[in-house]
Amino acid sequence: MHALVQGIILGILTAGVYALMASGQTLIFGIMKVVNLAQGAMVILAAYLSYQLFASFGIDPFLAIPITTAALFVVGVLVELLFLRPLRKEDRSELSLLVTFAVALLLEGIMSVVWSTNVRSINTTYADASWTVFGYQITLVRLWAFLLSLAALGGLYLLLNRTRFGRAVRASVQNPESARLLGVQASRISAIGFGIGAATAAAAGSVFGLLYPFNSGSHYDLISKLLSIVLLGGLGSIGGAVVGAGIISVSSAVVASTVSPIWSDMTFFIVLLLVLLVRPRGLFGASARGAI
Amino acid sequence: MLHHNRLRRGLPVACATAVALVLAAGCASRASTAPAGGNKNASTSKTLVIGASVSLTGDFSDSGKAVQRGYQLWADTVNAKGGILGRKVKMDIVNDASSPNQVVTNYQNLINKDHVDLTFGPFSTLLTIPAAQVAKRYGYAFLAPAGGGPKVFEQNLNNFFFVQPAPTTQAGDVFAAYILSLPAAQRPKTAAYAELDDPFSAPIAENIRQKFEAAGIKTVYKQVYPSETADLSPVMGAIAAKHPDVIVGGTQNQDAYAQVKSLVQLKYNPKFMFLSNGANSPLEFPDKVGAANTAGIFSASDWFPGSTAAGSAAFTTAYINKYGGTAQKVDDSSAEAFAAGQLVEAVASQTHKVDNATIISTLHSGSWPTLLGNLSWSANGAPNGEFNLVQWESGKLVPVFPTKIAQAAPVAPKPNWGG
Repeated sequence: MHALVQGIILGILTAGVYALMASGQTLIFGIMKVVNLAQGAMVILAAYLSYQLFASFGIDPFLAIPITTAALFVVGVLVELLFLRPLRKEDRSELSLLVTFAVALLLEGIMSVVWSTNVRSINTTYADASWTVFGYQITLVRLWAFLLSLAALGGLYLLLNRTRFGRAVRASVQNPESARLLGVQASRISAIGFGIGAATAAAAGSVFGLLYPFNSGSHYDLISKLLSIVLLGGLGSIGGAVVGAGIISVSSAVVASTVSPIWSDMTFFIVLLLVLLVRPRGLFGASARGAI
Repeated sequence: MLHHNRLRRGLPVACATAVALVLAAGCASRASTAPAGGNKNASTSKTLVIGASVSLTGDFSDSGKAVQRGYQLWADTVNAKGGILGRKVKMDIVNDASSPNQVVTNYQNLINKDHVDLTFGPFSTLLTIPAAQVAKRYGYAFLAPAGGGPKVFEQNLNNFFFVQPAPTTQAGDVFAAYILSLPAAQRPKTAAYAELDDPFSAPIAENIRQKFEAAGIKTVYKQVYPSETADLSPVMGAIAAKHPDVIVGGTQNQDAYAQVKSLVQLKYNPKFMFLSNGANSPLEFPDKVGAANTAGIFSASDWFPGSTAAGSAAFTTAYINKYGGTAQKVDDSSAEAFAAGQLVEAVASQTHKVDNATIISTLHSGSWPTLLGNLSWSANGAPNGEFNLVQWESGKLVPVFPTKIAQAAPVAPKPNWGG
């Protein structure tokens, strides 16, 4: 029973980090219908930037988030301008898979050259701190990461629902032709949207570096998990990404704690398959355009 | 015009893809010491060229680079003494990116294209299994400083020599021997086993488990986890809930770090903790888990600073001169790679020959002094000795058992996390 409850706590706290990563990916799909296979590599890039800022200047990974967020936003915008915009609209969905995978390999190559392939980890003084609550351990970093994720997702919600830019994004998603006739610049929305999607990887990357050792190849495992989350939640739905992250993270942790770690990863694929059998568009995937 | 525009718009994409593919290909390409095109005339030149595929990128890159340092250091050392039988030694080292497919390609190229004179092994059992088969096919002796899982010896290759004191799966036997040597009142009563699904790791923990269970130490937890498991918190949480006296980790590197970090976060401190690999890295382990969290953790090792085995002192001095740092920072894998070279030197010294057939037939008899101690092998290349038990004490990794090599007494029970 103790292992089960501890597993649930771990799963919920870890879900926040994955929700943050996946929200960027699903946002990009919602706006551009692009499945961004480079999202995992962007998370790892952010982890490396946090590592370097901490190692060279002593900047705390949480305090470094504004810097890494700005950097990843620029990376995201550049990727959209250089690699995705030239794609013809009718081919974009298919070709974007290849292009974003190439971007992931490009980022991996750059990271290997700059930081080598040695495994890195960010060891702050509080990296292993935890609170004991009713006999259960709440890891400080995971708790902060969870709260940070809630704040970031809340900010994303406000950006999309309470700002002019957000209205333009939603208009572009719901009816791109009408939005364009009303003066919304779709190309600008796409670039900024991709930048914001990449920027969510920045906060997640800082936390990822605190939680797990990583190297430039770590994005492969990450992207498979992120794709599972966004498919489970429904492509294009940020709320779905949050719920998907919760289901996958908690089920993995509980199965690893109480049954076997071998079955842990298998479990969420089984959950994913079952959900897709019943709801092919995922839990919150819209049958028509219009949801983010 | 339309075609021209499409072409122009598609150009950056094509460029990006090409750059990415080039970089990816670069990860699995020739690494450092070989000239472009390899040494095509190696077999006829006076230089003794030794080929090795090493993981300079990918999962095994930390240890792979340590192996590379050991090989190169030995070549430099032996060349400073005039080479082997008057022939300068040159290492032809290529990168396999930790891939079992690439390692096969690399050894085929080293043997058939570069025509190297001898071959040394890669890092890890996963890569050694196919690599040793390639060497066998072409009649090459295969001196492998890493990769001694059971499946390697099951191949029954007479050209294969594992350059460590014992098969890898027996690395934990010395920990079991230490625990069972304790007075009954001090022995652990319960044990938990967390094992990486890897031919090198899980069997070590399983061997310990069998010995512990035979001695009456109750198993309260045993699970195998896949290699892609980044988060071991749920596993270690389940172990903590069982309150075992001893935790045995059948680990490689990253999972060893993850096990320790998870236990620190869970505030569970066992009386004894043994990690088969990862914790025996003097450089990486304290860096990844925090130096204060290393105290009292046991691991297995074949070489240690201050060893009086043949050539150990000279190796240590040469290593520090070439790579810097201190003796405490020298990775075991470098010492093992160096020992492979020592064996070639020893065979050449005894037989005045340095060809593959001579090396194979000569090493199969007698006992051979190296900085890892005296090595001898069974017909399938399995060494006949035993490992040393090392423990982190006051921030250093020191040999503590068996008594004949101990530089300090074992510390038990394990100090709390954070020292």
